[in-house]
Amino acid sequence: MKNNRLFFWVLTGPGTAFLLLFLILPLMSIVVFSFWRTESYHLYADWNLDNYRVLATNPSYVTFLLRSLFMASVVSFVSLVVAWPVAFFITRYGGQFKIILLLLTSTPFLTGEILRVTAMQQILGPIGLINMALTTFGFDPVTALMYSKTATAIGLIYLWLPFMVLAIHLSLLNFDFELLQVAKVNGARPLRAFWEVTWPLNRAGSAIGVVLVFIPTLASSITSKFLGGPNGALFGNILAHQFGSTGTWALGSAMGVVLFVISLLVLYIVWKSIGDLNRSGITIKGGAE
Amino acid sequence: MSDTVLTLEHVSKNFGAITAADDINIEVGQTEFFALLGPSGSGKTTMLRMIAGLETPDTGRIVIGGTDVTRLPPYKRGIGMVFQDFLLFPHKTVAENITFPLKMQRSSDTEKAEHLQWVVNLVHLEGLEDRYPHQLSGGQKQRVALARGLVSRPSLLLLDEPLANLDRELRKEMEVEIRRFQLELGIPFVYVTHNQEEALTMSDRMAIMRDGKMEQVGEKFSLYHNPTSQFVASFLGSPNVFSGRVSAVDGEIATLDWHGHAIQARAHGGLKPGDAATCYVKSEKIAIETDAGEMSGEIRDVIFKGQYADFLVLLDNGEEVTVSSSHRGQLVKGAKTHIIWKPENADGFPAGE
Repeated sequence: MKNNRLFFWVLTGPGTAFLLLFLILPLMSIVVFSFWRTESYHLYADWNLDNYRVLATNPSYVTFLLRSLFMASVVSFVSLVVAWPVAFFITRYGGQFKIILLLLTSTPFLTGEILRVTAMQQILGPIGLINMALTTFGFDPVTALMYSKTATAIGLIYLWLPFMVLAIHLSLLNFDFELLQVAKVNGARPLRAFWEVTWPLNRAGSAIGVVLVFIPTLASSITSKFLGGPNGALFGNILAHQFGSTGTWALGSAMGVVLFVISLLVLYIVWKSIGDLNRSGITIKGGAE
Repeated sequence: MSDTVLTLEHVSKNFGAITAADDINIEVGQTEFFALLGPSGSGKTTMLRMIAGLETPDTGRIVIGGTDVTRLPPYKRGIGMVFQDFLLFPHKTVAENITFPLKMQRSSDTEKAEHLQWVVNLVHLEGLEDRYPHQLSGGQKQRVALARGLVSRPSLLLLDEPLANLDRELRKEMEVEIRRFQLELGIPFVYVTHNQEEALTMSDRMAIMRDGKMEQVGEKFSLYHNPTSQFVASFLGSPNVFSGRVSAVDGEIATLDWHGHAIQARAHGGLKPGDAATCYVKSEKIAIETDAGEMSGEIRDVIFKGQYADFLVLLDNGEEVTVSSSHRGQLVKGAKTHIIWKPENADGFPAGE
């Protein structure tokens, strides 16, 4: 009994300490700062709700927040639609190359985020691959791709798509593809079979993928900074600004808390959307009853 | 056959270097229970999958109810299928699983309800309609799988080793029930199994397959009692094998010289004097007697099975023969005995075929 307890602490202790020190404490400090005040690059511990009042009443902050929420929704949705066929074919037909194909989807991570976004500029920008080609052949360049919200969205999808593919792939690994044949023999056309069987049984995978894409997109700033152009700033850009040139850390902390709360809300909504676990088929594989 | 429902004509299928089906011809009639029996890897499941449309034959034609379905996708064939491992949809209730084929056919809700009621009563699943598959026992899952195959009243039901994952007792019970469903519905069942007991219990006719080839097709009694293929003679029942040289052939009956004994069997495959031959005699077709006789020896062991017993007889020539017979007091271990069989109960084939 005593040994077991020691064993428990030896195994979980380091991880718990790490999380406490580097995740919970900084988060707590952010929460605390958000109720303080900054003046001339100094933090003062006067407890107040001013930061939140500013965020709620100043229309520009609300606009940036709504824009980020919209962007995150679009990026998540498009990633979901693009990732499904990729994950499906890797899992179903990847055979011995499954792992390699999956690792290939993560090649963009071999380099840093800034470099990747800059690389996207070389494709989408005014002298990028697409528009250069178009103008060379005498067509008009596509202005929608040049320093726009569309460009930001494309960049963000490119950045986060691998997570969506991975989440759906991991879900499909536990999926019995023979069920699709059962559906077909029983009269379901391929798309119907997908909708009746594959989609509901892998809803948890889709949900996790959406969370993995939505939350980082909501807080993202670098992509929009490089690709978004003068009017493309997102909530994350404004947030970063508070910790940079303006030095209004308290307000920035409040913005961080807002993002954190929204992220928790998204998690809750997604969890609720999975709904009855029987309906996701999750109960069939292991786990406690 | 005038009421033929399913016809396979010269159907062949290769997977790379493996021949899964080699020039297969089958006809299945309206009220027939047809079993495809063979060891694993013999191509019987591939055959079923081709009938279902899950595989396409390389050559040949498949006709169901007068329509050539060879190139038709599975969802347009309108047949029912029961899979090994049940393969129920884990996220759907029993009722939803069963009515799935009707949902795909866009049947009305009343029709769905009527068919569900009918099939639930047929397979005895009353009261389980709202359960999920993980809440069912193996036997109940099997019934749901059967119900799903039958609910749309298909013109043909395919069954792929449906009882392989059930325990022995349940399997016996389901064998009888599946046969009852088939008789009640009057539609053909095509049943794939590697278990000859299942095939013999349920079927009217059967086909025995090996390495993608059809060894013999016919009524089950005729296959069991009158095998014309060496493989079928060696596969069905639990035959004793005798290898020897043919000393004489008189009409249909060949005489073999087997370790000093002259044994008789029906001659197959053009046996002639001087040929090396293999003879198969099913263990229950050998008589065991307590007095002296031609092939004598002593009982080495008795394996008592209740309704009958297996007697392992060590003959004086040093060979061992298994005889199945009712258990009798005199037939104890060590008892002197002799064995004998009628020539028409033994089948001889050229050796090494």
